[in-house]
Amino acid sequence: MKKRSRMIAAVAAVLMGIMTGCGGEKKEEVSGNPGEIKVWVHFSDETPEGKAWQEIVDNFNEEYEGTYKAVTEYIPRSGSGGGYEDKVNAAITTNSLPDVITLDGPNTAAYAHSGVIAPLDEYLEDADMDDVLDSIIQQGTYDGKMYAFGFSESNVGVYYNKAMFKEAGIEEDQLPTLEDPWTWSEFQSVCKTITEKYQTPAINMQLASGDEMLTYGYTPFLWSNGGNVVNEDGTKAEGYFNDEKTVEALQFIQDLVKNGYTTISPIEKGFETGKYAMLLSGSWTMADLEENYTDIEYGILPYPVSDTTKELVSPTGSWQLAMTTKTEEKDASSEFIKYATNTESSKIISLGNSVLPIRNSTIELIKDEVSDGMRVLMEQNQMSGHARPVVVAYPQVSRAFQQAVQDISYFEENPDIQKVVDARATEMQQAIDNSLK
Amino acid sequence: MRKKIRPLRIFEYILLILLAGVFIFPMLWMVVSSMKPEADVYLNLSSLKAFLPSFNPSEWFTTYKEVIKRFSIGTYLINSIIYGLTFSFGSIIVNALAGFAFAKVNFVGKKIIFGILLALLIIPVEVVLIPQFTIVNSLGLVNKRLAVILPAMASAFNIYLFRNFFIAIPEEIIESAKLDGAGIIRIFFRIMLPMSKPAVATVGVLSFIASWNDYLWPLMVLTDRSKFSMQVAITTINTTQPVYINQVMAVLTISTIPLIIVYIVAQKYILQGLGGSGTGIK
Amino acid sequence: MFKNKKVKENIIGYGFLAPALTLLIIFLVIPVCMVIYYAFTDYYLLTPEARQFIGLENFKRLFADPIFIKSIWNTVKFVVWIIPVQLGAALGMALIVNKQRKGNMFFKVAFFAPVVMSLVVISILWLYLLNPNEGLINTLLEKVGIASQPFLTSPKQAMYTIVFVSAWQGAGYQMLLFLGGMQNIPGDVYEAAEIDGFTKFEQFWYITMPLLKPTVIFVLLTTLISAFKLIVQPMVMTQGGPMNSTMTMVYYIYQTGFTDRLGGYSSSIALIFTTMIGLITIVQRKLVKEDKEV
Repeated sequence: MKKRSRMIAAVAAVLMGIMTGCGGEKKEEVSGNPGEIKVWVHFSDETPEGKAWQEIVDNFNEEYEGTYKAVTEYIPRSGSGGGYEDKVNAAITTNSLPDVITLDGPNTAAYAHSGVIAPLDEYLEDADMDDVLDSIIQQGTYDGKMYAFGFSESNVGVYYNKAMFKEAGIEEDQLPTLEDPWTWSEFQSVCKTITEKYQTPAINMQLASGDEMLTYGYTPFLWSNGGNVVNEDGTKAEGYFNDEKTVEALQFIQDLVKNGYTTISPIEKGFETGKYAMLLSGSWTMADLEENYTDIEYGILPYPVSDTTKELVSPTGSWQLAMTTKTEEKDASSEFIKYATNTESSKIISLGNSVLPIRNSTIELIKDEVSDGMRVLMEQNQMSGHARPVVVAYPQVSRAFQQAVQDISYFEENPDIQKVVDARATEMQQAIDNSLK
Repeated sequence: MRKKIRPLRIFEYILLILLAGVFIFPMLWMVVSSMKPEADVYLNLSSLKAFLPSFNPSEWFTTYKEVIKRFSIGTYLINSIIYGLTFSFGSIIVNALAGFAFAKVNFVGKKIIFGILLALLIIPVEVVLIPQFTIVNSLGLVNKRLAVILPAMASAFNIYLFRNFFIAIPEEIIESAKLDGAGIIRIFFRIMLPMSKPAVATVGVLSFIASWNDYLWPLMVLTDRSKFSMQVAITTINTTQPVYINQVMAVLTISTIPLIIVYIVAQKYILQGLGGSGTGIK
Repeated sequence: MFKNKKVKENIIGYGFLAPALTLLIIFLVIPVCMVIYYAFTDYYLLTPEARQFIGLENFKRLFADPIFIKSIWNTVKFVVWIIPVQLGAALGMALIVNKQRKGNMFFKVAFFAPVVMSLVVISILWLYLLNPNEGLINTLLEKVGIASQPFLTSPKQAMYTIVFVSAWQGAGYQMLLFLGGMQNIPGDVYEAAEIDGFTKFEQFWYITMPLLKPTVIFVLLTTLISAFKLIVQPMVMTQGGPMNSTMTMVYYIYQTGFTDRLGGYSSSIALIFTTMIGLITIVQRKLVKEDKEV
């Protein structure tokens, strides 16, 4: 017994030593020379994104030679940020963050609220912010200040198989345009035609993904219907997520599943292999189609819109750059962020990584260089892009949203949509309240 | 006598091969999928063609060429091998020493420490990830290769495994070695370890596999790409949109081969048994 | 003389233990102590310095958290099913390959193959195979006249499907451990039994099993613990769904800790998790006592 207590005491002593050691010791990253900054990015330099990125960094270092220098550390993430974000979290605990980090769009609020990243407004006065897409400013702004600057943008559209449409009797002139998109009921009747013709679901809406794709791809339906996930301040979900507008939007989704127009268990790559006529997906699918499935002739259609508002809303959001609060190289860091988000850099990353630009001027610049599909997404983004909610408790809010979508897609188990959203809104509200305590 | 068993034998083999098939087909699918264009992987998915490579042999290695062009696979492989070998070597020594102490030495507090050890078995790694990083950081080990292999080297599981093996070794062997004037360290390295080749091989293989398949920890403690392991490449290729399944399978095939080799080499020792006497059930 | 010997034993014991003990204390015991402390704080991963002691607050919230309660049941369900399935398969496989025959090496490699493969590829593969539409398994089922099954997309079947895939993947591991134990049984014991006219089954029951007991206890205990720690398969295959039917405790620890960044809350789940399994392990050890106590 004596031995045991002695050992516990010893362990406790070591433990205290370590804990006080971490708390007290302010370990500053020794960045070599003044003007030299370290940047963490979430991808590998062996990807197209990494190659384009390195080009931007090289350009920056050349232009500012003798004044500033940026060094990148490439940290490949897994899935939707795991790995990279775990590393950032660990670095925060040990106070060893670099000067500039990348962060996913929805993380802005949490990082800003916790004082991990610093506001950029005072440095952005000469950055021609009017040229920047609204969605980029929305996702980077918390509490009225711009904390993070997206360096690329994304968007989603409805891919369709031209041959299958033709065979089902849907003519080119019936197709929607950005100015005149399909309403939900028009979309449903098209789905009906196709489903009856081919005896399979008309569209893969990635309902099976069960991850961030659901929040990203399905929130526009709410917004188009005038609904919302949370209020403007990001403080209330109850009364917003469970109002009738949300219920209507989710009813539309549930009907698609119930009628067999879409499915919760799609065939793998069903669109790419010509089994489904439509696919809800982002710009990355184009690269895949052009490289591996060249016999599929496809086009991209805008998001279907609510019958009541007819307002086109499309999903946006991507990774952004932000300056950490601990950096001692504020000028160099902000100068770098500005550089990496200027017209030229946006062009490099857009073309290099097949993603969308963040500036109107870049869109003008590359409009004629990109494919038709890319152009549709670029313009849809310009016209109707809507960033995801800026909430401190985003992970929980997003997960509750994903689960709500998943719940209602099991229409037999959960026929009552109101009940589902009530329960999920309570979950969101609890998470929000706890995060703001 | 033998002749009578024959038809039964054949039947036994057929059953066994079917059973083996159940276990081996994903590996077959993996290898085969890496040897055809991506579209074919999906087009073949619902038929048995999923288990045949491309009918055009010139396509067999194009995926590998693409993958090698995209990634510095060589560096990652070498790093993974270094981590795997040092980790399993360290695991064997450290855990065998501790297992021996629990099995054959009567020191004070043995029961309590063993109890705590079993309790440590329960801890899921996910739980202690951040505190572990804090410690590695305060030891100044961040971005050192040592940080990859040290934290998981001592393992309650492996100590327990060694202890069980050592307990089975008769006390008399140690006593007679002592009478011959051998020191305890000599007994351990010259008698105990060689006698427990199955345990050594088991711990070696399992440690190697664990080290080989670990992604999160190396990524957390390393910042320098030239030190990254194979898993980092796999993750990159598996999560960078668009994901090309045939390339994923090619990388996975490359990374699985060393594990199979390690296992084939080690299983010879695993089956060697105590003092070479274990010839198995006849 | 007596006392001297005791001192010597202590020096030797702790000397041999020293490397492992040092590493374990630094990299496991201290982190665990930190986690225990975190469980009583409002630790938020992004603001480590603002961490405050909040007593039992986390635990109060925890027991009102329906997902947490559900994760306990899901985990227990998984464990109850996987133990007999996986260990039964492993023992059977070990008995098969422990016999001398031509080409045995092939079977040993085959049975072990899923263990060396990355869990990610196995999960992707089964996801494809088990796809309710046009997945290979359903195609086969239909050929023999059984209706298509939803498998992972059904809240009722998802967990059982994961049990099956996990057992299939992990059995080779325990096979290896059983095999190691069987090899420790001297061959002449069987020769003697054969002469005495024991049948194969009697040999298994009266010789193999009793002599294998330490191995069985070891395998049972470690498999039980690792079954409780289930996380990767649901993470990759179902993300804990549909409708939280495959959300396990460790997955929830990971989700609250890493995705939601709630270090304190996550640690409190971890604390409950370890206490729970600790108790189960103690009970299990009491029930199946080893002949030779430590």
